[in-house]
Amino acid sequence: MGQSTSRRRDDHPQIRPSHQPHPLSSSSYSPPPPPPPPPPPPPNYIYPPYPPPCYPTRPSHPIPSPPQQFYTTGSYRYFARPTYPYPPIPPPANGRWVPPSSSSSSYLPPPPPPPPPLPHVEHEKAKTIKNYVNVHKDTIRLEEDESDKDQHLVSFTFDALVDGSITIHYFAKEEADCNFSGEYPDIMPVRVSFQKGVAQKFRQPSGTGIDLGFFPIDDLSKPSDGYAFPLVISAQASSQSLSVDEQQSQPDSAVRVQITLAVIEKKNGEPYRVKVIKQILWVEGERYELQELFGRSESEPEDDNSGQECVICMGEPRNTAVLPCRHVCMCSECAKALIAQSNKCPICRQPVEKLMEIKDKSGSL
Amino acid sequence: MANSNLPRRIIKETQRLLSEPAPGISASPSEDNMRYFNVMILGPTQSPYEGGVFKLELFLPEEYPMAAPKVRFLTKIYHPNIDKLGRICLDILKDKWSPALQIRTVLLSIQALLSAPNPDDPLSDNIAKHWKTNEAEAVETAKEWTRLYASGA
Repeated sequence: MGQSTSRRRDDHPQIRPSHQPHPLSSSSYSPPPPPPPPPPPPPNYIYPPYPPPCYPTRPSHPIPSPPQQFYTTGSYRYFARPTYPYPPIPPPANGRWVPPSSSSSSYLPPPPPPPPPLPHVEHEKAKTIKNYVNVHKDTIRLEEDESDKDQHLVSFTFDALVDGSITIHYFAKEEADCNFSGEYPDIMPVRVSFQKGVAQKFRQPSGTGIDLGFFPIDDLSKPSDGYAFPLVISAQASSQSLSVDEQQSQPDSAVRVQITLAVIEKKNGEPYRVKVIKQILWVEGERYELQELFGRSESEPEDDNSGQECVICMGEPRNTAVLPCRHVCMCSECAKALIAQSNKCPICRQPVEKLMEIKDKSGSL
Repeated sequence: MANSNLPRRIIKETQRLLSEPAPGISASPSEDNMRYFNVMILGPTQSPYEGGVFKLELFLPEEYPMAAPKVRFLTKIYHPNIDKLGRICLDILKDKWSPALQIRTVLLSIQALLSAPNPDDPLSDNIAKHWKTNEAEAVETAKEWTRLYASGA
């Protein structure tokens, strides 16, 4: 048959349903970990078609490495594929991914359904993309301005490997190339420069905030028309602070921005709260969306019983994410062994469409 | 020896089962075959099996954890999802098996099955019918069998 890969699933009789599922299964007898909510549905941004995304290669970064802002490390996230305009819906089980190592990573249209559909699971290594400025999304707060209690100031913690600037936009909507424009011309964006440094505290300067009480809660708590977010934090690495090499390598696309889109919630009597809807990274003319991975805890140190070991061999560290459910529960060897005989995620039993191996410089997640 | 190439996972699971046993459950490997476990489950309180000590055998097939352990009751038990050979009708032992499950979680599931008999998905038709037509009487029979066969004597 000349199959080009050994990853096709062999039929294994024991994984076929042998009888009716036990009616108690979903209540009392299923394994404990609940499946996470599925990734949010693709929003309804509509952009003109972009050229097919490609994975650019960069020269190595000469910048010293305090906290490496690879997104696969710090907060255990991975970059979704470059999205134009938004992550394409993963192809059906018989669709094929084109590995990113090839010159184009656009999707091939799903082939016509073959008579016996064989699940085909790609196993690829995650490309790490360095993020120079990272806003800790769980630290974003709205504080009262001491000089005017009606005004609210944005504060958060962030890491910056280079100098740059933070821009706060209100009620802003995304336009081409990750630029943002406000819906209200008289509310000007607030731009503040920063110097590089880890775990910096940002606080919007007094007098530059807006009076949130002016807006109905409904307008604050969801993006209007699905487009304009009440709060957009744009953290830009200054291209001047990149090395000469890096500047030369990216003459037109030196802009590197991390964008945090948020809504503002308020319950009766409680202060305003910021809820981050998504984070985007705009790097070298590519738009990436940040998505969380499940199954790694940030706080627990690596040790034998921390639950960070592969659930299958219980020996190796977990380093492979199952997509689309984003469970990180296996080492790469066990992941390969698993998909040789089953296409179900061990945690949630969703079909596996793709495996992504994630490594940082030290070789573990 | 069958034990010479025991996967690390099985060794780890065994160590944890022995050092941190789940309440009401004990499992210890056989001396001559580390893939064969002698299991005891105490009948859950407020179930017809309360006060009983149920022996089971559990075997880890070569494919484990890609394939489910094979588990069987050795103690006679009156339960709609367990037949007279001790075989257990439990989805996670069949099509709902996941390699993320372990010996411990399997035994906890079996313990839970004792607390919640499910006559709508029977393995033993007669017992299930009994359960559905006259549950009080079926429960009495289960208690009687527990006294007779699972007294731990």
